Amino acid sequence: MKLLVVEDDPTTGDYIARGLREEGNAVDLVADGKDGLIQATSGQYDVLIVDRMMPGLDGLSLVKALRGAGNQTPVLFLTSLGSVEDRIGGLNAGGDDYLVKPFAFGELSARVAALGRRQPPAEQETVLRAGALEMDLLARRVTREGRDIDLLPREFAILEHLLRRKGRVQTRTMLLEDVWGISFDPMTNVVETHISRLRAKVDKPFDGDLIKTVRGAGYRIDA
Amino acid sequence: MRRGGGVLRSMPLRLTLGLVALFTTVSLISLAATYVVTQASFDQALRDDLKQDMAGFRAAPNAAALAALVKAEARETDPDRMVLSYFAPNRRHYGNAVIARDSDGYRIVTPDQTEARTGGAYLALTSSEFGGQLTIARSRAEIDALRGVFLNILALSLLPTVLIALSGGLYLARRGATHVRVVSRALDRLTTGDLAARVGPVVGWSDDLAQIGGKIDQMAQAQERSVAAIKQVSSDIAHDLKTPIQRVAVHLDDLSRSKTLAPAVGSRIDKARTELEGVASVFRSLLQIAQIETGSPAARFAPLDLRDVASRCAELYEPTASDSGHGLHIDLGPAGAVPATVTGDRDLLMQLLANLIENALRHTPPGTNIHLSLTAASGSVVLCVRDTGPGIPAADRNKVLQRLYRLDRSRRTPGNGLGLSFVSVVARLHDADLSLTDAAPGLCVCLTFAAYAGQDSGG
Repeated sequence: MKLLVVEDDPTTGDYIARGLREEGNAVDLVADGKDGLIQATSGQYDVLIVDRMMPGLDGLSLVKALRGAGNQTPVLFLTSLGSVEDRIGGLNAGGDDYLVKPFAFGELSARVAALGRRQPPAEQETVLRAGALEMDLLARRVTREGRDIDLLPREFAILEHLLRRKGRVQTRTMLLEDVWGISFDPMTNVVETHISRLRAKVDKPFDGDLIKTVRGAGYRIDA
Repeated sequence: MRRGGGVLRSMPLRLTLGLVALFTTVSLISLAATYVVTQASFDQALRDDLKQDMAGFRAAPNAAALAALVKAEARETDPDRMVLSYFAPNRRHYGNAVIARDSDGYRIVTPDQTEARTGGAYLALTSSEFGGQLTIARSRAEIDALRGVFLNILALSLLPTVLIALSGGLYLARRGATHVRVVSRALDRLTTGDLAARVGPVVGWSDDLAQIGGKIDQMAQAQERSVAAIKQVSSDIAHDLKTPIQRVAVHLDDLSRSKTLAPAVGSRIDKARTELEGVASVFRSLLQIAQIETGSPAARFAPLDLRDVASRCAELYEPTASDSGHGLHIDLGPAGAVPATVTGDRDLLMQLLANLIENALRHTPPGTNIHLSLTAASGSVVLCVRDTGPGIPAADRNKVLQRLYRLDRSRRTPGNGLGLSFVSVVARLHDADLSLTDAAPGLCVCLTFAAYAGQDSGG
């Protein structure tokens, strides 16, 4: 992917750019809102990563100007502001996702990947597959190697979420947002326990784990 | 009742009552003194008149002449005004009445109508003249009438004054009480943390209370400014520290990704990252609490079903609770019960409940139970989280709502000491009543919300 990072703090900016390059992306880094706007309008980027608070032109105004000019490139806001208010403000300005500092690189990478591959929804599949696992969305039935797996509604929802995003890492916070609709970070390991319950039913009785843990980031079902 | 008591306790009315009492007492004393003096002088005049009369009769040369004189005078004298009586030595009686004596005392009886008694008080003078007994008595009716006159004077002069003073005092007291109510309402709100409360300009206030109100407003404004400044400073600190925290996180992450790392160093780095995440979480919570305290999330308030929030939360925590050996029991009332609709922010309420459940999970030993209950009745919705753990000593129950306060025994358990202050701030934002009580054993945290009344009934 071709990515633009607009971040005024050199340590953070350099770290993001380096990490994203290591993952095989082409990354441009600018440290100023105005340069960011010029760069964003001229280059063809898959995702923009924009710090919200910058001297001069701040991230919010940058994205507003960009959207005003008809540019629809997905935007991930980085911010040290962390409340729901700020989040709503950022999303209203035309941002697509929001990440609060300090963040783990895995979180950033997973979210950038989600934004970059955001495609128009394909025709609705009714059966999702991964290896020998099949999920029939209409019959609400899950089988692996032909054997029925009995899932609770929430476990079904988590598995469906991971299957729909095969090959992409889903972080704890992404699961909380998408599966539970929760925008805060619980202190305890609630997501981990739900995942381990799911694994006990989907992976444990079979050979080979479908749900992979990505260290420092989240979970993934390989394509 | 409370209002009446308030008026009675008010300064103007008490002053008025005091003044009225003083004025009445002084008036009564001076009138009484005047009465006594006047009565004494009337009495003296009566006595002098009697002596004069007696002297006139003594001028008679003998008993027969005196009898004739008494007889002549008596014919023209009304016994109600003056009694003349002479018992001559020949045992005959002359005069217009007889002074008789019976068990009741002295009384005057007119000779022609033995039954009819002349009433009223008399002042009598008796003297032995020429072997007989002459008695002259003058009625004291005029002096008695004097009392009536004085009572009239009293009524006419005192009553209107007292009435005017009392109603004036009452009016002032009521006015004062209204002003005091406005001032005390503003003070109540200021005391409970609503620093935007003001007495405000009130029409028709020109007294000392208006001045005090103005001073209170000045004070509240200064207070609000300094509190805002303090909050701004703490928000700024939290903000400013986020970039360095992010940089530390960056360096740690870089280190952990280095291929040539010894395993021992790697685990140290992981520990450092966990600690750093803890620091970041404190800052996040502080900033969030500060933002909620400004009241801005209230703009997003919408009706929502608290039962739905509670069941989602219970579902989220059920696996964690059972893994840590806790029983999580939920009682959301019978299906199809009264809707538990309240007005609020779903995210904040969800987070509030999550905090309460996490709190219970962290501070109670395995094997204990956590009960989550929801009851909707008579215009209110009560949400309770009760555990059977060690509870919180009564003396500490208010302190745990303060920012960063932790019980001594909780210092080693995870958590940042902001969970319950977050709960308290969110409860206040929702005008919900928060109570921490002893569940014997354990802690019971209850939140009482006003039920959403619906658009049409003005909710």
